[in-house]
Amino acid sequence: MTRTLRGRAVVVGAALALTLAGCGAGEEAGTTSANGSGLEKTTIKVGVLPIPDPVSVYIANAKGFFKAEGLTVEPVIITGGAAAIPKIKSRELDISQTNYVSTFAAVAQGEKIKLVADMYQAGPNTFNIMVPKDSPIKTVAELKGKTILVNNLNNVAQLAVETQLKVAGLTKDDVKFAEKPFPEMGNAVNSGQADAAWITEPFITANQSQFGFTKLADTMTGQTENLPIAGWMATDEWVQKYPKTLAAFQRAISKAQELASSDRKEIEKMIPTYTKIDAKTASVITLGTFPSELNRDRLQKVADLMAEYKYLSSPIDVSSVIVPAPTSG
Amino acid sequence: MTRARLTRGVIGAAGFLVAGELFIRFVMSEDLLFPPPSVIFLEAARLPADPDFLAGSLTTIGNWGLGLLIAVAVAVPLGVLLGAVPPVEQAVRPLVEFLRPIPSVAIIPLAILLIPSDQWMKVSVIVFASLWPILINTLYGMHDVDPLAKDSLRTFGFGELAVLRRVSLPNAAPFVATGVRIAAGIALVLAVSAELVAGGSDGLGVYVVMAGSANRMDLIMAATVWAGVFGVLANLALLAGERRLFRWHALRTGAARS
Repeated sequence: MTRTLRGRAVVVGAALALTLAGCGAGEEAGTTSANGSGLEKTTIKVGVLPIPDPVSVYIANAKGFFKAEGLTVEPVIITGGAAAIPKIKSRELDISQTNYVSTFAAVAQGEKIKLVADMYQAGPNTFNIMVPKDSPIKTVAELKGKTILVNNLNNVAQLAVETQLKVAGLTKDDVKFAEKPFPEMGNAVNSGQADAAWITEPFITANQSQFGFTKLADTMTGQTENLPIAGWMATDEWVQKYPKTLAAFQRAISKAQELASSDRKEIEKMIPTYTKIDAKTASVITLGTFPSELNRDRLQKVADLMAEYKYLSSPIDVSSVIVPAPTSG
Repeated sequence: MTRARLTRGVIGAAGFLVAGELFIRFVMSEDLLFPPPSVIFLEAARLPADPDFLAGSLTTIGNWGLGLLIAVAVAVPLGVLLGAVPPVEQAVRPLVEFLRPIPSVAIIPLAILLIPSDQWMKVSVIVFASLWPILINTLYGMHDVDPLAKDSLRTFGFGELAVLRRVSLPNAAPFVATGVRIAAGIALVLAVSAELVAGGSDGLGVYVVMAGSANRMDLIMAATVWAGVFGVLANLALLAGERRLFRWHALRTGAARS
């Protein structure tokens, strides 16, 4: 018996050693040092959400824009902009998708992060307050005393709703905000847990067709018209250490953003390849825009809104947070 | 006996699924949407054809197995050491009792911050969670040794190492195996949870995150069914291994079957 046991222990030990060796090998290969393009780093990992916003990174990969820069870009799924901050800090990710409200809030708390490229900007009907079929609520003013679902509290969702409440003469204290993931909002509203929900695509389309939800308000109007939503971030340290790699990434992304802006078909074609949104849904959902340059004035609008609605205790000058693409090339 | 048990088990599971199907289709309000079991199982049957799912499952199972192996490699020798040398156990036990109840999911954010490699972050969390049941069971097995057997060997002039090798270790082995089986279930929970919280290139949990972002509750549930299948298979395999290896132990303890 002891003999059998010992034999097994040896096998297990050997298997373990082999697995460990297998995992360690090749991790460092090809990520740094000398190459034709002069980049400090040729393979980078970027965090993305599995939604339409970061489509240009997949377009740039498919069209060879990164390759032309001598760059290999590996997209890694993240679970949120705020959740990605520890991952760029631990250097697990080089660059990550983020939303601007999360980023400015983090910067105000002292996080050393830079915005390096723009990604997604709201368009008409991309972020709506929706109410169920037969809802008695017909205007934003009637939301007084009601519960509104948002995907994250104290973030862009709540900020956007607050701008609409202001127009209707209400403040955030007149309503109740509750947090709920987008996929669960339809059921939650229909079962009476809330009266309205702040919803984006593909959930706007889904809740309209499955439940007959109707739009109460487009939250991207007035103060929030064409609000910048998402961008690419990296740590200050990364930006300083890999300037050429960053410039290469910026050039390729900008090119892909231009393509995405000029031809919606490119986006529709790409979405089913990296999300679980099928081609049919991709062709009908409402999309925002994909700006090809990081514009200070547009981003300042986000920071100013955050200060106005007390998401920031003091104003931020976004010039200190952005690293625009180099003008040449 | 076993055939009848199996039949009853199948009837129970089928009854539950039929009840779920009927409830969702006929009782639940039309204003609520949830995929019925028939849809979920159809999607689950299709999943192996989805390369994202296949790659994800392999990654998750790989992390799961690796984490479990490391946990065994750490916890078993540690348990034997603590069990064999009481002063060491007394020194270490308070720390173990402090660390053990920490919900492993709660250390995922810390692991993300500290460990720059996504895979090793996940494996570390799995190891942390799986250590405790193996360690505690090993300790228990070491304590459970018949003192008479040990004394008999000593009387015949065997040294402490020989006593450990010939009596304590074989005695503790079935307990270790049970600990590993319990840990395997916990390790799977952590393998998927770490992916749900942290994301990653692929994985079962990453697949669920992707399905959620696309409003595909059917895919979320289908992937969850597979996670359950992996857990059941691992448990059956380990249970079969235990029965084969430790038949004598089952005989001795009266074969209380779970």
